[in-house]
Amino acid sequence: MAHAAQVGLQDATSPIMEELIIFHDHALMIIFLICFLVLYALFLTLTTKLTNTSISDAQEMETVWTILPAIILVLIALPSLRILYMTDEVNDPSFTIKSIGHQWYWTYEYTDYGGLIFNSYMLPPLFLEPGDLRLLDVDNRVVLPVEAPVRMMITSQDVLHSWAIPTLGLKTDAIPGRLNQTTFTATRPGVYYGQCSEICGANHSFMPIVLELIPLKIFEMGPVFTL
Amino acid sequence: MAAAPEPGEPEERKSLKLLGFLDVENTPCARHSILYGSLGSVVAGFGHFLFTSRIRRSCDVGVGGFILVTLGCWFHCRYNYAKQRIQERIAREEIKKKILYEGTHLDPERKHNGSSSN
Repeated sequence: MAHAAQVGLQDATSPIMEELIIFHDHALMIIFLICFLVLYALFLTLTTKLTNTSISDAQEMETVWTILPAIILVLIALPSLRILYMTDEVNDPSFTIKSIGHQWYWTYEYTDYGGLIFNSYMLPPLFLEPGDLRLLDVDNRVVLPVEAPVRMMITSQDVLHSWAIPTLGLKTDAIPGRLNQTTFTATRPGVYYGQCSEICGANHSFMPIVLELIPLKIFEMGPVFTL
Repeated sequence: MAAAPEPGEPEERKSLKLLGFLDVENTPCARHSILYGSLGSVVAGFGHFLFTSRIRRSCDVGVGGFILVTLGCWFHCRYNYAKQRIQERIAREEIKKKILYEGTHLDPERKHNGSSSN
């Protein structure tokens, strides 16, 4: 999860998120250089003694400031498209979970093995134990294996919601009457937090998502099925 | 939540954000590129001034030099970083395969030794 006053991206827990962080760094460096150039141009404009009110054309300058932005956009677009197609790769998921958004909780269905279905509500402040995270912890976490491709089928039972886990680079809208699919492969075990990311009513901020990623060996022993 | 670093773990470096958003300490290759860019800017700008004695034009050359050198170092460093990551991933996969399959018929070393002896 994010630490206090965090502005930047969280550490990556999936290969896609690693690529997104790399692309973000790339785009940010280009943005920094453009901002630097603009600030310098502003400084020059504010400090010049020259005044020329009869400029009619500046063909060379116009050519440069047309072609240069086009090149910059291509430099940003190419890695962006690469990641876009990478997220759509079919990777033969070994596990499928359905996530259904409600006002204001999530329901998870593990139908691959035995039809386990449970609701996941945010823990109210009065029920928090020492060490629990306010507005983030839930009563029942989604338990998944590490390093196994997982398919999430996301939908909603009432209004629009969005199932998001920043550290995995996931955000998928939950739309009533539609089944959206996203896949991911987690690279390290741990507990990862997300929050509903589509305004859905009074308690939109109070329906978090918690993923507990455990080693495959332990997952196969069946702790998730002993609720 | 970002916990305090365990004993033995490297401490996260304090972030220095240029223009308020570019974290040069924690972004791979950023510090290296900005430092070389600054050096290039000083060399280009000062060198131009020494030859022409034109202050404003030398500043323009300095800024242009900063942008070009920073971009050049950035792409070069990121390309090497990407190659390094790919090599690390291949090494990690091979180590995992070796641990899993050592001694079995799927052992890559056994296949390789078998083909070389033939």
